[in-house]
Amino acid sequence: MTRLFNLLSVLVLLGAAGYAYTVKYETSFRTEQIAKAKLEIKAEQDGIGVLRAEWAFLTRPERIQKLSERYLDLGPLSLAQIDSFSGIPERLPHADAIGDKIDLLGLGVASTPSADPAAAPATPRTKGGASTKTTAPAR
Amino acid sequence: MTLAIENSSPAATKSRWARLGRTLRGLFSTSLATSALRIRLVALLFLGLYGLVCGRLVYLGLKPEPANLRRAAADAVAAARPDLLDRNGEILATDVKTMSVFAEPRRLSDKDEATELLTATLPVDAKQLRERLGSRKGFVWVKREVTPHQRDEVFHLGLAGVGLLAENKRVYPNGPLAAHVLGFADTDNIGVAGIEKYVDGQGLANLHGAGFELTAETLQPITLSLDLKATHAVRDELAKGIEHFKAKAGAAAVMDVNTGEVVALASLPDYDPNGSPNIRDKELINRLNVGIYEMGSTFKALTIAMALDSGKVNLNSRVDARSELNVGRATIHDYHAMHRVLDVREVFVHSSNIGVARMALGLGVEKHKAFLYKLGQLTRMRTELPESAEPMWPRKRWSEISTATIAFGHGLAVAPMQAMMAVGALMNGGYLITPTFLKRSEEEAKKNAPQVIKPETSEAMRCLMRLNAEMGTARKVNVPGYFVGGKTGTAEKSIHGHYVKNRLFTTFMAVLPADKPKYLFLTLMDEPQGLPETHGEATAAWNSGFVTGEIIKRVAPILGMPPRADPTEPFPTLAKLGYGCSVTPAAASASAAGAH
Repeated sequence: MTRLFNLLSVLVLLGAAGYAYTVKYETSFRTEQIAKAKLEIKAEQDGIGVLRAEWAFLTRPERIQKLSERYLDLGPLSLAQIDSFSGIPERLPHADAIGDKIDLLGLGVASTPSADPAAAPATPRTKGGASTKTTAPAR
Repeated sequence: MTLAIENSSPAATKSRWARLGRTLRGLFSTSLATSALRIRLVALLFLGLYGLVCGRLVYLGLKPEPANLRRAAADAVAAARPDLLDRNGEILATDVKTMSVFAEPRRLSDKDEATELLTATLPVDAKQLRERLGSRKGFVWVKREVTPHQRDEVFHLGLAGVGLLAENKRVYPNGPLAAHVLGFADTDNIGVAGIEKYVDGQGLANLHGAGFELTAETLQPITLSLDLKATHAVRDELAKGIEHFKAKAGAAAVMDVNTGEVVALASLPDYDPNGSPNIRDKELINRLNVGIYEMGSTFKALTIAMALDSGKVNLNSRVDARSELNVGRATIHDYHAMHRVLDVREVFVHSSNIGVARMALGLGVEKHKAFLYKLGQLTRMRTELPESAEPMWPRKRWSEISTATIAFGHGLAVAPMQAMMAVGALMNGGYLITPTFLKRSEEEAKKNAPQVIKPETSEAMRCLMRLNAEMGTARKVNVPGYFVGGKTGTAEKSIHGHYVKNRLFTTFMAVLPADKPKYLFLTLMDEPQGLPETHGEATAAWNSGFVTGEIIKRVAPILGMPPRADPTEPFPTLAKLGYGCSVTPAAASASAAGAH
């Protein structure tokens, strides 16, 4: 009886020791992984920092202005190009001179059943002749 | 415990053995009766032993990590600094990691060989390097901020005692843009000027000194009041203006009058903070903050505000400007003399020296001085920037002549930013708000801002500024859609104590919109030249005024102010009090040529 008990306790001891070692190794493995991940994070963060600095350097207004002057046809925003939403006139009623004429002649009814007003090329005219509409200033 | 006794009898030996046996038995006996004391002794011994172990554990736990090389080098390594951002989150200054090469002279076996190898790979002076390696220090720099290629080469040298260390390097991606506000940090990443120095003063340096390892992640970025794009636009327009008018120097700023935030600032010539600028150079100073100048007619706004605020004068009061004014030995005359009695509006619109001098003298020297003091024009104005300047005024004797001339901006030299603060107070309803370079809200700004003039005086001043832009000397800035108000200021420069006619210092202040003021614009130019298209004139309206107009056109949309229709009733309080905000047409046309 005692012998069996002794044998059992030795086995339990061995098992416990083995388990303890696995836990220990697992732990140190994870610790290493964490340290590695932290290093990677740090490297990434440094990389992001460098990229941010580079982005800021490449998009600095001075450079953009020079590039735009050299390669683009865009001019500086003039104040006349800015208008508020309330300054835009209402869309004109659907006007399709050719379509009207065709309708008048009684021809196009079958081929163009009630032309969709949304798809019609409406040409809203802003007041003062300014044709471009820019709400947001160049930012 | 055993006794060694030499000459002993067998009987004695026997009894001794017995005693020894007893002693041993007693020692190992667990019977309390025989060994209580000894057990206690042993227990105490073990207690002491365990106590020692525990104490050592606690000691080791509390003790900081053993000083390794990285720690030792931490002092020498450039510390991390917080990013500086503009009000929209664009980067103005940031840290970038670079590699630096260091050596531990004590660990170098062959110093000559090391010098030879290092000088072959890095651009360093051999003699200096040998000297440094020969020193008895534990740590010396070989070369800071090496390129990735050089880093690899040094790594491949494989010298024991030579290593690489990651360092923070401060970069300013926008170059000279807003350099005067940002200042810069040196190779050790210590703030030397501007906001960088201010940041250090706020405890960053102390934290570094106490050994806190600050990384970019633990540092919150600092948001400035500047708008990067507006600052660029202002600098660009200013540079164009300076070139066009062949001025020696110039500066321009945009301030939010309700919060005191400086939204844009440029002072030319400026410098690139990425190099190692020589900030001792007088030409490179921040002319808005460090330079002090006589602001000329811009100061008339202050004088008239004082007169209106005193209650003795209202907009309809009339001032005699028929003839020149004699004060003591001095004679004050007008640049564009009207030779008639003017009302307060006309005094401002025609920029009459005689008119404002009479108003200031009417209130007296003491009141004038007290008012300027209240508006912060006689004391050093302190912002976040460590650079500031003491205003210059007749400290010993403030005579009647002083009051008469200071009334139109001669005889008192202030930092232009300081004048902006005062004019801002005249515009924003009377709150004297110290300009700031950090983002802040209106409530925060007005919390500590004293009310220096009455709101209705402020409204009257806005009316005068608006009139001046409509028909007076500030017509160059009357940008349609912004209801701009403005005031010119031309001062003759004092050289060796004499005012010189053709060397002018011109300033221009503009506020928009004049009914609900938001931004105050200032442009100043040092010795602009007259051009054929300005009819040879070099007064403020022609150059600083023109540049301000260009700046407004370009910057106002960037700052989120679309043009709008002019307000129908811009000055309700004035209307209620029965003062119109207009000048008789005859007077207006007479002022057409006026630009002083």
